[in-house]
Amino acid sequence: MRLNVALYRVMAYVTGVVLIVLCILAIMQIFVNDEAAVNVVGTIHGGLYIVYLLVAFPLTRRLRLTPGPTVAVLLAGTIPVMTFIVERHISHRYIEPAMAGGAAPHPPVPQPRS
Amino acid sequence: MSGTRESSRWRFLITPKWLGWHALVILSVLGMLWLGNWQLHRAEAGNALSWAYTFEWPLFAIFAVVFWAKTIRDEVHPPAEATPRDAVALPGGIPAPPPGGPRLAGGDGEPGEDDEELAAYNAYLARLTKEVRGHGRWHGLR
Repeated sequence: MRLNVALYRVMAYVTGVVLIVLCILAIMQIFVNDEAAVNVVGTIHGGLYIVYLLVAFPLTRRLRLTPGPTVAVLLAGTIPVMTFIVERHISHRYIEPAMAGGAAPHPPVPQPRS
Repeated sequence: MSGTRESSRWRFLITPKWLGWHALVILSVLGMLWLGNWQLHRAEAGNALSWAYTFEWPLFAIFAVVFWAKTIRDEVHPPAEATPRDAVALPGGIPAPPPGGPRLAGGDGEPGEDDEELAAYNAYLARLTKEVRGHGRWHGLR
């Protein structure tokens, strides 16, 4: 779980940064007619996105996300800036409660009293 | 009990929401295969970069099918590793709150040395119930 979360965070940030670089290059390409950089970074992003999917999907299963959030997490890697937003949301709403639930010791359970 | 439960387990698949997901998966898989085919033609026309995408698109299509199948499987057979405790902290199946809601300590007037513990535990239960409320809902996406 911990490793999966760590890998997911790393991939979310790396994929997100590369995607932003790709967008900047794509905009620059309009003015400078040179496709080489866009092609290289585009291919890198394609490969990173495959890794992102392989890391993010097991995490969505571990967190038992419903289809909506699952699709949002998986597609985030293709929409600029979305990985950062979704990562924050998922961390706050699902990962932190799950980690707290898994790590914290059981509180003393008193016997039911009648 | 188990017989009716087994058949009703799968019934969620034909709810409108899930039918929508099935349609989305089928359409996106067809779309990805079409894009792969298009890239293959571009690659054959001499665009070397397209070879990468020729293999990437079918791969994404396979991912979509596998992810879809796993999501359904988990919905039908929740992983056994999930303890009731996880079920409280996690979205998905929102468990019923403890019968009668969090027990209030000291209500029965019986004094005891564990009253403080019991109060802390009740506060913990109340906090969990409050946190879990609304989990499993995703604004606008479900």
